[in-house]
Amino acid sequence: MRLFWNIAGIEARKRMSYRADFWLNSLVAFGTELGVAYFIVAAMFSGADRLGGYSRNGMLLYYVAIILVARVVRSTDLEWAIADDIYQGALSRYLLYPVSYGVLKYAAQIGALLPAFVQVALFSAWVPFVLGIPEGIRLTPATAAMCLGAVMVANALHFLMTYPIQLVAFWADNCWNLLIAHRLVAMLLGGILLPLSLFPSWSQPLLNALPFRYMFAFPVDALLGRLSVAEYASGMAIALGWCGVAAMLSAAVWRRGTLQYTGVGM
Amino acid sequence: MIRYLRLYGYFLRFSFSRAMEFRFDFFFRIFMDTLWYGHHLVFFWILYRHTSLLGGWTVDQMFVFAGGVFFADAIQMTMVANNLWMLPNYVNKGDLDYYLVRPVSSLFFLSLRDFAANSFVNLLMAIGLFTWALARFPGPLGGGAVAAYVGLLLLGCLLHYCLQMIFTIPVFWLHSSGGLREIFWSLDRYTSRPHGIFTGWVRKLLVSLLPFALIVSFPTAALFGGLTWRLVAHLAGVTAAAFLLMVWIWSRGLRAYSSASS
Repeated sequence: MRLFWNIAGIEARKRMSYRADFWLNSLVAFGTELGVAYFIVAAMFSGADRLGGYSRNGMLLYYVAIILVARVVRSTDLEWAIADDIYQGALSRYLLYPVSYGVLKYAAQIGALLPAFVQVALFSAWVPFVLGIPEGIRLTPATAAMCLGAVMVANALHFLMTYPIQLVAFWADNCWNLLIAHRLVAMLLGGILLPLSLFPSWSQPLLNALPFRYMFAFPVDALLGRLSVAEYASGMAIALGWCGVAAMLSAAVWRRGTLQYTGVGM
Repeated sequence: MIRYLRLYGYFLRFSFSRAMEFRFDFFFRIFMDTLWYGHHLVFFWILYRHTSLLGGWTVDQMFVFAGGVFFADAIQMTMVANNLWMLPNYVNKGDLDYYLVRPVSSLFFLSLRDFAANSFVNLLMAIGLFTWALARFPGPLGGGAVAAYVGLLLLGCLLHYCLQMIFTIPVFWLHSSGGLREIFWSLDRYTSRPHGIFTGWVRKLLVSLLPFALIVSFPTAALFGGLTWRLVAHLAGVTAAAFLLMVWIWSRGLRAYSSASS
């Protein structure tokens, strides 16, 4: 456990030494995502007072929350460091360490969350002054705590879902397309593009059963007080169940992959 | 001109033979782009379950717009994406020398050398979806209007390329991993949304200094609202300005390039 936190600490220090371009990119990305969402919401609400159980400001608050939650949950997903280790043959040195490779990488991902948390703090500071607490939203210390718990599970679930995809690098020359494909599906079915309450009612049981909701929309619903304690508990149980499934799949893929790993790199 | 066409023919032949060597990647990319198309269509389909108009367009018009977005994206992914992805690496590692000593335009060579053969399948798919969206449109769309639409879309593709280059070329000075590419990809989200939903200064910005709304949304507006000389002049003028700016920044960048590991 000490090793886990040491690795996380090293990664956090490394990430906080980022230069101005990292923070500029982050700010522009946040501004653009929110800008597009703002105008979509404005266009949708031009003829309606409530949609999917949200008022106009309520839906805007949902988008602010989900954009920031997604940053914390995804962490370093698009850096495909694991696939890169396999391509370059850098995995060899990790295989000699007396600790699991997956745990090492997860520790690094936890460390990489520090700039994401700083972004959440900075980019959400304006929200209480501009949006306040819209009608139908219940934001309390209890809902914030529920959200924090859900985000921790969501981060682990996201890591465990993308881990076996990156391990495809044992067989394929390039797996970034698969990671992007996962991202596209997760954005749609996880509620980043649109609140899931706008989806047709027949699709709701499916959305609740799939893992994507628990990565993004579920922590936000918890934060905005849209979940009862029973719904929260069952959601967390489903998310943990998916973590278990993804961990088993990862272990199986890892076993098969390392059997044919040659360590020569590209 | 003939020499450049012949050279491009060689690029195509080489790219297809290389793509068939990496078969997994070939299919993964097709899979990814297919999901991207589905993700867009489902997004608009769900939006229109809750509203009849978005930015002044009906769902049928929005599907035509989405078809245009797919077409423009497929052109970009097939013809220039791989090349522009590698450009910062060449600059940072000093590998640009190889391209600069060739007896052809370095901008041409670096922008078009790698034709993404796997994305070519997606280009065919995008054309299919684009045709489907036009065919299912309930109103009358004349052949001339559709031809003008495709012409304006191709102009939009050129503008998209120029913008991407303008955001990538600063790598000559910044020596970062991608210049201002991340910012470009963030702003590029505006390309896939109709400009009618934007208002105020954001809309003005998106049709002038950051002309992402001109790439697909303007040509689609011309298809439904009627082609006007003002609209064509606007799109052509902004594209020409972006092209000249790109060429100017490129020449300045080459002057700043100091070869190996600069």
